[in-house]
Amino acid sequence: MKENKKELLRVEGLKKYFNTPGGLLHAVDNVNFSINEGETLGVVGESGCGKSTMGRAILRLHEPTAGKVFFEGKNILEYDKNKMKHLRRDMQIVFQDPFASLNPRLTVSEAIAAPMLIQKLYTKKDKEALQKRVSELMEMVGLADRLKNSYPHELDGGRRQRIGIARALSLKPKFIVCDEPVSALDVSIQAQILNLMQDLQDDLGLTYMFITHNLSVVKHFSDNIVVMYLGQMVEMAPTETLFKNPVHPYTQALLSAIPIPDPDYPMNRILMKGEITSPIDPEPGCRFYKRCPYAKDCCKNPEIGLREVEPGHFVSCERIGDPELSENR
Amino acid sequence: MKKDNTTQAQGVKQRSLWQDAWRRFKKNKLAMVGLVFLAILVVIAVGTIIVDLVTNNYIYDNYVIKQNLRGRLEPPSLAHPFGLDEFGRDMLLRMLWAVRSSLFMGVIAIVISGILGGLLGAAAGYYGKRTDNIIMRFMDILLAIPSMLLAIAIVAAFGTSLVNVLLAIGISYIPTFARTVRASIMTVKDQEYVEAARAVGANDTTLIFKYIIPNAMAPIIVQTTLGVAGAILSIAGLSFIGMGVQPPTPEWGSMLSSARTYIRDSWHITVIPGMGIMLTILALNVVGDGLRDALDPRLKN
Repeated sequence: MKENKKELLRVEGLKKYFNTPGGLLHAVDNVNFSINEGETLGVVGESGCGKSTMGRAILRLHEPTAGKVFFEGKNILEYDKNKMKHLRRDMQIVFQDPFASLNPRLTVSEAIAAPMLIQKLYTKKDKEALQKRVSELMEMVGLADRLKNSYPHELDGGRRQRIGIARALSLKPKFIVCDEPVSALDVSIQAQILNLMQDLQDDLGLTYMFITHNLSVVKHFSDNIVVMYLGQMVEMAPTETLFKNPVHPYTQALLSAIPIPDPDYPMNRILMKGEITSPIDPEPGCRFYKRCPYAKDCCKNPEIGLREVEPGHFVSCERIGDPELSENR
Repeated sequence: MKKDNTTQAQGVKQRSLWQDAWRRFKKNKLAMVGLVFLAILVVIAVGTIIVDLVTNNYIYDNYVIKQNLRGRLEPPSLAHPFGLDEFGRDMLLRMLWAVRSSLFMGVIAIVISGILGGLLGAAAGYYGKRTDNIIMRFMDILLAIPSMLLAIAIVAAFGTSLVNVLLAIGISYIPTFARTVRASIMTVKDQEYVEAARAVGANDTTLIFKYIIPNAMAPIIVQTTLGVAGAILSIAGLSFIGMGVQPPTPEWGSMLSSARTYIRDSWHITVIPGMGIMLTILALNVVGDGLRDALDPRLKN
């Protein structure tokens, strides 16, 4: 399946700054990566590190401050309104909170039909064809047909998230940004939704950008992983490589925090000290500096960028190769 | 299999949101009483207009405004259930003929301010930033002027006419509407479902009218019913100080005003118009509360 890797999305130097009373908030700072068709890119990082903002900036739900986003080879940031509207058929998003992401005034079938009506794939006159398509989508995501006329508040979180997925799928997109799609759900339902999304990916050849803070989820789900810290990428690698050989101290700390369901297993948690650097007008240099157990003066070098340590494995750390760094794993 | 599903779905009865809301509204006894009361008022208002048209103002000229000093201040009796006023006019007829000015003027004034204030507030809330600032600072200026004083100033400057009274009250309610609409639009516009609609390519018009306004409606509806109540009070107040509806045209506020000198001897001519105003406003408030509960699909049971 992954033999003829075709690049679907490439992000270059993406930046999103917000103007706040305190100064410029660097929510996403100079992010570069690419995703191949049919693959999943996991994006992990702690709360507030800019994962969601990045997802939204790629879809231009937040207009990026700078950078380029190539979708099928074309820079979509140059697109005008009409072209963008057309492009939205190919790029969709599934939101984190299924309680907030559905219009409480639309029934299930209306919510799923709305994107198709907005994109004029169907007119209001083709009621039957539209309803047929809605039923098809509902079956695809495992929603019983009798729920068609229910309102979202009558349904549980798992079912609502299925509506959200059906809504995203209704335009037959190629690429879906999944913004923590399972973190608001019960654990038992999380598994169902994840399996559903994986099945859909296999059936429809979807490409995902999977944003989450749950490392077990990305391990199970992604081909490649990007680790973000305060708006910057700190490490990017194929999933297996990242879990086997995390290089960046932040990634090491993150991985050490994954709970292992075995009481006898010695937990080697790397506990981080210090405070998170403020994302508002951050100082140059490594943003992890204040919390990093290996921090040295050289880490204040403002020119730290991603460096390839092995094929496909990129790390942004000044002290790569330092034996002190690798003694942990 | 798929075909079965479709037919089954069509078999499920589809109830629109409005039908649902009405079903919930009906369960609220108090609100229903208020609604019935308001319906009766509308019927009276329309009925008296029709009577005037049909009889060519005969009843109005001969019973509603014609003075009969021999029977002045006569207390309620079988012939005149509400008694006679200080000029011997039948209070019941005067009360009935007064409904139209209070009710319709109140509604029209609020429609004016609702539309203007609503549009301004929606623009301020949706576009934010500079638009918001300019509009809202202007609203603050309007708000800084006491509404009654503003109404009096407008009426004093342009003369006492129906249009001026409506305009005066309409303008003084604009900021209240602008603020309510702006606040509710601002809370709704950042909801994820609005973002989801934007992600599928919905334009501003669709977003505002299909996603934002229906969800921001509840406080606006409550504000409207309360606003009508307030406008009726303002009209009555303006008439009370002689700047609204002019005598001999019956109007609750001016009836109250001219009756107040006789309150020690003839309670009925002050209490009756006072009760009219009070009950109408109570009914509007009760209906407003009922609507707010009924229109919220989350409260559905």
